[in-house]
Amino acid sequence: MGAVTTIGITLASFSGAIILGLALALIRLLGLRLINVLISGYVEILRNTPVLAQLFIIYFSLPSLGIMIDPVPAAIIGLSLNGGAVLSEVFRSGLNAIHHGQREAALAVGMTPWMNLRYIILPQTWRITLPPLGNYAIALLKDTAVVSAIAAPEIMFWARNLVTSTFQTTFVYILAAILYFCLSFPLARLVERFERRQSAWL
Amino acid sequence: MIDNIRDFLQVYVENWSNWGPQIYAAVGVTIQLTVASFSMAIVLGLLLALGKMSRFPLLRAFCVAYVEVARGIPVLAILFLLYFGLVPLGIVFDAFTASVIGLGLSAAGYIAEVLRAGIQAIHKGQREAALAVGMTPMMTFRYIILPQAFRIILPPLLNMLIILLKDTSICSLISTEELMLRAKDLAMMSFLPMHLFLLAGVIYFLLAWPLSIATRHLEKVMQRGRRQTFGI
Repeated sequence: MGAVTTIGITLASFSGAIILGLALALIRLLGLRLINVLISGYVEILRNTPVLAQLFIIYFSLPSLGIMIDPVPAAIIGLSLNGGAVLSEVFRSGLNAIHHGQREAALAVGMTPWMNLRYIILPQTWRITLPPLGNYAIALLKDTAVVSAIAAPEIMFWARNLVTSTFQTTFVYILAAILYFCLSFPLARLVERFERRQSAWL
Repeated sequence: MIDNIRDFLQVYVENWSNWGPQIYAAVGVTIQLTVASFSMAIVLGLLLALGKMSRFPLLRAFCVAYVEVARGIPVLAILFLLYFGLVPLGIVFDAFTASVIGLGLSAAGYIAEVLRAGIQAIHKGQREAALAVGMTPMMTFRYIILPQAFRIILPPLLNMLIILLKDTSICSLISTEELMLRAKDLAMMSFLPMHLFLLAGVIYFLLAWPLSIATRHLEKVMQRGRRQTFGI
């Protein structure tokens, strides 16, 4: 049960973080100074404060402004906002790693800027950013444990409930740890394979 | 709008005599927690990194397994296991000790990888040359390998320190009296969650941001050094 919620929260916030991170990185490329300052301020703040503090602000503090959010959506929003900041840096370095000749050539053969982005830049960026994206997915999976603090019913939350009903403290927490390991270990091996395949043709 | 902001800030001024000392003490605990677990993680991480490179297959296998497991389990799960899960076995830690051990055990897995990558990045000719001029393996490691590896290792190590600083907030969930728990308690008592969690966020930011800037600066300095060595 809890594992399903954990995977669900991970997938949802991973998608949210990718969309937000890619959007922020692309907007930064436009080179509008004021917006860039705002975006880098956002990225710096979110990257230099704990996820737990961000979740508490969303879940416990926003109700005082009249905004009530349920635990699971609050968790997904918090992790997506945080992940967006982390991934925007990943995408930015990925986009920067592509030689500017690629863009110039695409525009020279008559592609529109949008086509250039869609068919030339993004496919190459994707290859470069895949390993760090995978690593981030693993980090995110483990960060979902923190979400139990705002009562989202994922693995740690279920573990705590199970402990109060069965008193098998040691067994239940070891089980929770094993469950996380079983989820993150295959992911880590997958990322490793991507990395190896990438360095094979680079 | 301006009035709203002034009212919002006014609350801090009014409550500061009450909040200030408590928050101040809690920040002290957060810093202690970070420093203690970081020191533990470095010592353990170095042992693991050396173990991973050792000649003994059994030791190597153990260190590889430890790193994989430590990196595959969330800090919170480790903390719960240490603080609640060991009690039935008769092993009782106080919250602070459990937090230091938990964060240290977890971070050691990452630091081991950072250290190993740094040490292995040193060309093996360096070691061979040191041994050839009659240095003992210990001297080689101490005077040749470590000083060079240190430059490669420093930026990711600082990064790890930032991650640890942020992860100490998780220790509030096993009732360690650090910044996040203090903020939460004060928020519950005063019914001012927005003020207190924002304050906590600002304090974490003020602690972590200088470290981030230092890390970035070091990364740049490192690259400069490397370019010079290759004469490009």
